[in-house]
Parts: sequence; structure tokens; C-alpha cells
Amino acid sequence: MSRFIDKPVAGAGIGLRSTHYQTIIENQPKVPWFEVLTENYFGDGGLPLHFLEKVRADYPVTLHGVGMSLGSADSLDRDYLARLKALAARIEPTYVSDHLAWISVDSRFVHDLLPLPYTEEALANFAAHVREAQDFLGRRLLIENPSSYMGYKETDMTEWEFLQELVVLTDCDILFDVNNVYVSGTNHGFDPIEYLHALPKGRVKEIHLAGYEEQNNYLFDTHGYRVHPPVWDLYQATIEYLGPIPTLIEWDNDIPPFETLLDEAGLAQRVLDSMDAAA
Amino acid sequence: MTGLHDMQAMVRDAVFETDTQNPALRAISEHIEPSEGMSSEEHVLVYRRAILGTLVRALGNIFPVGKQLLGEQFFDGMARRYVQETPSRSSDLANYGASFSEFIARFGPAAELPYLPDVARLEWYWHRAFHAADEVAMDPGSLSAVSAGDTGRIIFHLPVSASLISSDFPIHRIWAVNQQEWAGDTAIDLDEGGMYGMVWRRQYDMRIDTFDEPVWTFLNAVAARTCFGKMSESGIAGDLDTLLPRCVQRGWIAGFDLA
Ligand SMILES: [Fe+2]
Repeated sequence: MSRFIDKPVAGAGIGLRSTHYQTIIENQPKVPWFEVLTENYFGDGGLPLHFLEKVRADYPVTLHGVGMSLGSADSLDRDYLARLKALAARIEPTYVSDHLAWISVDSRFVHDLLPLPYTEEALANFAAHVREAQDFLGRRLLIENPSSYMGYKETDMTEWEFLQELVVLTDCDILFDVNNVYVSGTNHGFDPIEYLHALPKGRVKEIHLAGYEEQNNYLFDTHGYRVHPPVWDLYQATIEYLGPIPTLIEWDNDIPPFETLLDEAGLAQRVLDSMDAAA
Repeated sequence: MTGLHDMQAMVRDAVFETDTQNPALRAISEHIEPSEGMSSEEHVLVYRRAILGTLVRALGNIFPVGKQLLGEQFFDGMARRYVQETPSRSSDLANYGASFSEFIARFGPAAELPYLPDVARLEWYWHRAFHAADEVAMDPGSLSAVSAGDTGRIIFHLPVSASLISSDFPIHRIWAVNQQEWAGDTAIDLDEGGMYGMVWRRQYDMRIDTFDEPVWTFLNAVAARTCFGKMSESGIAGDLDTLLPRCVQRGWIAGFDLA
């Protein structure tokens, strides 16, 4: 039996940041769930894990990773998987997610999500890694579409075709980041709505919202701003198409006061509620 | 056609390359689509900037006093050089930076601050202690359960979070006056001499404790897993009757087993 309250996530959650531990534990704000960055809790002990367990005692939690490097041509890092499995056993997350990306090659890590060439070779490699990780962890993964700033000439399918195939090959679920698809669509000149309509319905278990930064010739995903108006529009379209999928406000840089995040989550919740009302 | 592994290796080489002629950047750019307003190379450079930036920021977070002492611009430039020559070998970014203090010691432009490598070592130990496993303090009474015949076989342990550190400079004071909450005088006389100390965590309380040379010698013998009998015989640790209770009471000894 679980040591924790155990209910599936629903509604608009918030990414947990260390600057907000105290206020969350003391004030118990009305937030349906929190998501944490997996690798921030890979230490053997100390305050981060202590606070995470306190938060987990009152809220459902999802684990969101950047370190699995599922797209790497390297074999999967078993030490990473073992740490993740131990953390999942301790925290009992509702979901475990990582990205459609690679962060390492020849066991050297770049610590940033790099895009893949969307080829048959990359697909077979990615699918084998997802299956291996799912078998090892004993659970399904959610795979998130990344923001990307470069595309390869070798690519011979779209990102959404790659994702569709991946779901068929591995039975994984999808974390659809609406901000990322808007950023990538702008940078690469594709239509986010086409991406949206290619998503296998029923497989999208979580949605991300965040703020990008406008550079000279491209959009850069900093997770350091409020969600931009065109991303809210795309979110509205996403919820109309997929239904009221649990949605997370991500904010990783220049972290604002907790109230700002509550505010953003409130805006997302309104969109979710309007669907419930319409249903 | 370039396979997945070679493509990824080319991206990595372009990100970390130091050759100002950028041969690796040009090589991967052959495989990258240009877009409206951006050349292939500019697309790759977005990643070079982002990745170097992430790693430089990570070092700044682990070594805030080093950054404070050098100023942001100097520190970031130095960190960038380190990042370019030091690949990360762990999926966990918290493991990155272990050799930073050795790099600083070799980094000519930082030689004006001779204590800087030791300060960086102190900050690295702090970072490790922060994430170390939780541990219950030793019950001093547990020692009395060891029978008199067995005391020589006792091997004491330092706390799992502990790192011993010594320096020719008062780095614990340099560290302290460069903390944000420090309100006192920031002047430090480097001639006040060096330090012996231990960086560790007691429950959730981060500590830099300093002590005299006998304690330093004793705790180093403990760290080397020297058994109690051998310490008494060789007299390496001086007056054990006063040292041991003092170290247990301060928490510097966290447990023991029998050899
Ligand atoms: Fe995301």
C-alpha cells in the first residue's frame, strides 16, 4: 500500500522549484499536482529529497527527466536507470517522462536536449531504448517533443511521424509540450496544428506550457517567461482536440514568486474547465 | 549517408571546439538545413551557446565564492575554458566540476589569487556534502558496548558527507565573508595563516568546522581506516583520551566497526 495519497493527476499543475519549497509546505496552496526535475533528486540524501517527500505527502507528483538520453547511439546508462527506479520507488510518481532527444555520445554528456535526425535508424534506436527503459522501470514512459533549433538534411520523416511510429513500436505515452511545438514550428516552418492533428488521441497523458524568448531570427525556449498569447491559442486548440489533459506550467529560469505560477496555472485551468463545461 | 553515432559525435565536436577556424562546425553544418534568415552554421551555434552557457552556469552555482572573488566576467571566461577541455562523463550535472579547482591552479590568469584553488576545493566539498546521504549521529554510549579486549580493533568512520581540507590560507574566513548574509568586516589578513577543517552536513545543517593539528592528524588516520590499536601504539594521534571524546561530541566521528 502506498505511503502517500494516491490519485491520478488532473487539472493544471506546477513545476516544483526549490525557491518555493517553504511556501508550499507552509501554505499548502490549492494545486492539483507538482512536477519535479528528476535529476535534481538523484543525490543520496539531503534537503532536496527531504522537501520533495514533504511535498509528496500532500500532492501527487510526476517525474520529468532530461538525462535518459534515449536518442543516443550509445547504449542506455544503466546507472541512470537504477537511480531513476530507486527514486520512483521512493516518490511513487504518477508519470515518468523524458524527451525525444539525445544528450550524450561516447559517454560524454552535453546536458542539453539535442534533436535527432528523423530517420529509420534513429527510430529503431530510440524505440529499442524506450522498450529497454520501460522493461527495466516496469512502467510506461511519457515521451515529450523538444524545442529544436536545427534540422538535419538526413531527416526523412516529420517529427510527428517519428512520434506516431514510436508509440506503435513501444506502447509509450506522449507528453505534448505546446510551447515546444510552437517554438519548433516557428523555427522550422511547420504548422503546429498539423502536428497536433497527427497525435494519437488517448496517448497524450500530459501537456506542458512555458514561455519562450524571441531572438533575432528564431524563438528560444528559456522557460523563463509567462506563456505567450499564440501559445495560449494553440493550447486552446489542443484542449478542444484532445480533451482536458493534465497541464503543467514549466518555469525553470528567473523563477518568479509562487503567486505568478499560481496565476498561470489558473489561466490553464480556465481552459480545461471550459471544456468540462462544454462536454 | 552519415549514421546516427557519427552525426552525434560531429555535433558534440562542433559544440566544444576551440579551433577558431571552426572545422568541426563547418563539418556538421554540411548536414544541417539552413532556414529563412539563418545559415546552417548559425543553427548549430544556437546549441554551442546554449550548452556552454548551461555548463558555465552550473559551475557558477557550485562555485559562487570563486565567482564572487573573480567577478562574473572573469569567472565565466575561465569556466568556459574548463568546459571546453573537460567533457562531462555523468548524466548527472551535479557530478560536473570535480576537477575545477585543479584547473584553476593551472590557469595562469587566476594566479593573482593564490588561495583560489583551495576555495574552489572547499566549495566542491560543500556541494558534495549537500547531496550526500542522510545519516544518524553516533550514539556515544555505543562505544561502551565494545568489550575491553576489542577496543584495539575499532575502526572509526567520518560522517559520509565529510571531506577533510587543509590550506595555507584562511579559506574558511574567505568563504564566510563572501556569503551573501555576511554583514561584518570583509577584510582578511592572508598572513593570519592556514586552516585545518572538515566540510560536512549534520542532518540538514551544512558545516565548515575548523580545528587544530592534533585533531587533523587524528581525523586523517580515521579517514585512512587506521584501527584504534594502531593509533595508540604509534602515537600518531597524540592524546587519544581527550581527542576521541571531543571528536565524537562534535559529530566528526559518525560511527565505527570492528576490524
Ligand atoms: Fe516541456
